[in-house]
Amino acid sequence: MSESPFLKNMSSNRLGGHLSKTVLYILLILGAVVMLTPFAWMVSTSLKNSEYVLSMPPQIIPSPATLSSYRRIFSLYPIGRMLFNSLFVATLATLGQLITCSMAAYAFARIKFRGQNLIFLLYLATLMVPFQVTITPLFIMMRIFGWINTYQGLILPGVFSAFGTFMLRQAFLTIPREYEEAAYMDGASPLTIFSRIILPLSKPTLATLSVFAFMGSWNAFLWPLFLVREESMMTLPVGLATLQGRWLTEWNLVMAGIVITVVPMLLLYLFAQKYLVQGYVMSGLKG
Amino acid sequence: MKVTIQQKVLYKYMWVVFFLFPSLAGLIVFLVVPMLASLVLTFFEWDPLIPTHFTFLGLQNYLTMAKDADFWAALRHTLFFITGYIPLVMLTGFGVALLMNQKLIGRTFFRGASFMPVISAWVAVALIWTWIFNPKFGIVNYLLGLIGITGPAWLYDPNWAMPAIIFTSVWKDTGFVMVLFLSSLQSIPHEYYEAAALDGADNWAKVRYITLPLLSPTIFFTLTISLINSFQVFDQVWVMTKGGPAGATSVLVEQIVNNAFRYGRMGYAATLSWVLFLIVFLVTIIQNRTQKSWVTYE
Amino acid sequence: MSTKSMFFRSAALLLAFSILLTACAPAVTPPPVPSSEPPMEGQNVIETAAPEPVEITYYTFSAAPDHLKELNQMIEIFQAKYPNITVKVETAPFNDYFTKLQTIIAGGTAPDVFELNYENFVTYADKGLLLDLSPMLQADTTLNPNVYSERANQAFSYKGMQLGLPATFSTVMLFYNKDLFDKAGLAYPTADWTWQDAVEAGKKLTDPATGVWGLYSGVQFWEFYKKAAQNNCKFFNEDKTQVMINSPECVQALQTMVDFVKTDKVMPSAAEMGGQSDGDMFKAGKLAMDVTGIWMFAAYKDVPFKWDITVEPGMDAKATHFFANAASIFAASKHSQEAYEWVKFFTSDPQMAKIRIDAGWELPALRDPALFQDYLSQTPPSNRQAVIDSLQFAVVPPVIVRQSEMQDGINKLLDQVMLGELTPQQALDQAKLLIEGLLK
Repeated sequence: MSESPFLKNMSSNRLGGHLSKTVLYILLILGAVVMLTPFAWMVSTSLKNSEYVLSMPPQIIPSPATLSSYRRIFSLYPIGRMLFNSLFVATLATLGQLITCSMAAYAFARIKFRGQNLIFLLYLATLMVPFQVTITPLFIMMRIFGWINTYQGLILPGVFSAFGTFMLRQAFLTIPREYEEAAYMDGASPLTIFSRIILPLSKPTLATLSVFAFMGSWNAFLWPLFLVREESMMTLPVGLATLQGRWLTEWNLVMAGIVITVVPMLLLYLFAQKYLVQGYVMSGLKG
Repeated sequence: MKVTIQQKVLYKYMWVVFFLFPSLAGLIVFLVVPMLASLVLTFFEWDPLIPTHFTFLGLQNYLTMAKDADFWAALRHTLFFITGYIPLVMLTGFGVALLMNQKLIGRTFFRGASFMPVISAWVAVALIWTWIFNPKFGIVNYLLGLIGITGPAWLYDPNWAMPAIIFTSVWKDTGFVMVLFLSSLQSIPHEYYEAAALDGADNWAKVRYITLPLLSPTIFFTLTISLINSFQVFDQVWVMTKGGPAGATSVLVEQIVNNAFRYGRMGYAATLSWVLFLIVFLVTIIQNRTQKSWVTYE
Repeated sequence: MSTKSMFFRSAALLLAFSILLTACAPAVTPPPVPSSEPPMEGQNVIETAAPEPVEITYYTFSAAPDHLKELNQMIEIFQAKYPNITVKVETAPFNDYFTKLQTIIAGGTAPDVFELNYENFVTYADKGLLLDLSPMLQADTTLNPNVYSERANQAFSYKGMQLGLPATFSTVMLFYNKDLFDKAGLAYPTADWTWQDAVEAGKKLTDPATGVWGLYSGVQFWEFYKKAAQNNCKFFNEDKTQVMINSPECVQALQTMVDFVKTDKVMPSAAEMGGQSDGDMFKAGKLAMDVTGIWMFAAYKDVPFKWDITVEPGMDAKATHFFANAASIFAASKHSQEAYEWVKFFTSDPQMAKIRIDAGWELPALRDPALFQDYLSQTPPSNRQAVIDSLQFAVVPPVIVRQSEMQDGINKLLDQVMLGELTPQQALDQAKLLIEGLLK
């Protein structure tokens, strides 16, 4: 576990230490306010009655507060089913990414092979073409595979992300080779080194990638919009999109829908928090 | 057992295939093939509504693009976005990551707070921010009024719409950058700082000689990813201004989306995409070359 | 515990929770699956229906989420009448509807029947994507084409082919807040008002102190061509060989619209509305007169003030909007006969029309005055007769094949005029060049 002991330095000077700490906390709280106010707003709007939603100047605390938006959404949409679809797709997409990206990253980071820079450049290149233009050929491909309106069609294209490979490659490159050398001397195979040494040492990055991969799949809109052809296959973003009407939008409903979509992501992040925080003590292995 | 060089090489490539194949195969099928299809499209006129009809245009699309005032305007606006967004988001993300790395009360809460914007979809946050930037009743102009400044019309003013979008984007992505930096900051051994402190280093020196160099692979990664993403900025523009007012915030991907999905000009949209690709590719190559001078790997 | 198993655990927990939700949440009633038994002897069955079960897809933007119930009701009735046909509904929000439609057509998975609004109709018609219904209409002995509103029917005929049957229509009216008029001691707007009358009233109604504005009429493509028509201006001629959008009449029409905001100061600018729509403002009692569509009746049903409608003011002439949505069949649909039965039912069946009107789900495009009795007797507003009255002044939108580009281009120019970057004359001169370019 590593934390830069800046605070320790500060507190060595008593008065200055307390002042700096106070300033620090003020900054942090201000920052948190800036970060969270829009969400407080979102929740507040979701609890309002339609008449009060866009009243200017804006009302911060809803009065009267009501759960009618949420009730209405649950009666209009099969939320349970959509939640299941989103979870199923996102979970599998994330697992797929974790596995394929970490393996590819290991190859790039630890094995010297011909053409590796070129292939890595190919990976990067796939990030540089806007997906809005590749989505139509990809959809046609799905038609050819017969994967329209299927779970594999929803999951697979999102699994092979260059982002994950790139991120993990960087993380693997920073692991000192000393750790592997011992195992290598003992004749361990690359697979053993990968699974017993590299992966455990990369937990924070793997956790980070999990969150991003899950998030990308969870919030995806355009691809599921095209691919899904019936209500029972809809994911949350696609299903709830019809809350934005053509002529009139009931913002309290829209916000309630968004809160419903964000909450699972938040829960996941809080779970993953532990692993983002946990580092690994390297000092003991050095020297 | 004597192992020949060939056997060693074969052994190595077996492992390369084992580790690389799943990812590369999927990449090629689901990403590279559609990309190449779109590249081919740049030489044609193709209306998705008449999918069997292709008109060969040669380089015509590229010439049209060169003369297209909307394209150049979109390029300018995109570059403006990038020059505002990248430095800001990298600095705030890094700063917040440093802060979050400290032993603090409620650290989990603060980390969660900065990550909340990241996990929400743009359609959600964009509406709130249009209210925040509301010229008459929004918080921003209210606060500015408190210190005696009359705020501009933000999203309704051609000069201020993009700054508002930049600010909103920085707000949303700071957490993303923070999380990337944080996981690397975690892995810097305690002892390095202690040793430096013993040698008399102050906080700035610690950052300069320990944190930054050890973080440089992550900085490189984050910068690369952020640049690639910011060239493709779209969602926030689409939801907050739709490219307005009067095209003042029109960006490259917005042009691509309009051409691909509203004007039936897929070939032209593909052309714009590939020119965008070239620009991003060049920028990334240049960045890659410079990494040798400042990125240190173990 | 490894990241992966921790992940698995939390995902499993959430999964279990959602499965629970699925069990507890009220299920959306899916349309009933018809029995696949062949029709019994003596049962009244349409001869043309094929005996094997057929599934057709109907893609729509107007049903979800509020009217899925009504749509399912209609499907139940239809499937009872045609037991071998199953109608599968696919929905998308309006803003993304055409993006998806284009993509699924490109992918070769087009729906059998889909909803089209007029502005997209021409594009789809021109590209040969819609089935010509004339042969089926002629062969059909049970449907009288006069059951439809003539104007609506015409709207969806293209180059002599009937490429869609009109499902609904709507008009744009002048909505006004009676309470605000009473407070200012003004007479309510009438059907003979000109815009001058409206501006005069607007000036007395606009009150910066309370944040109330006199009127609103968007400065955008749809409003502009209508105001232009009120001033005897046409964008281009019949066969589109000449573009006259920058003629003095058109410039004057645009100037009038701009003046509402700039010189008369009876209408808020976009900045002054700050993200609120005119609908939001009218609902909040901050707008005395609003030019908007009859689709807002449902939204305004429970407002705390009295309101009514009248025919929109004119300039030299009167011109009003007529919008219609069609149900069209995909040209390459494999079940065109069954699709036709659905389209016919969905657009003309009296039971369907009753469900619509009772639920306030848009107006069927039918001529039967009996149907309208119900509609006209609903309140608010009380002056629903104005909806019918406005039809006599209806103008058709100027539509070209490259419609989206023209609309986007003109909207951008109009924005520039409102921002003060261009004068109306300059903007319309540029518009002329734009349209000429798009017509090539």
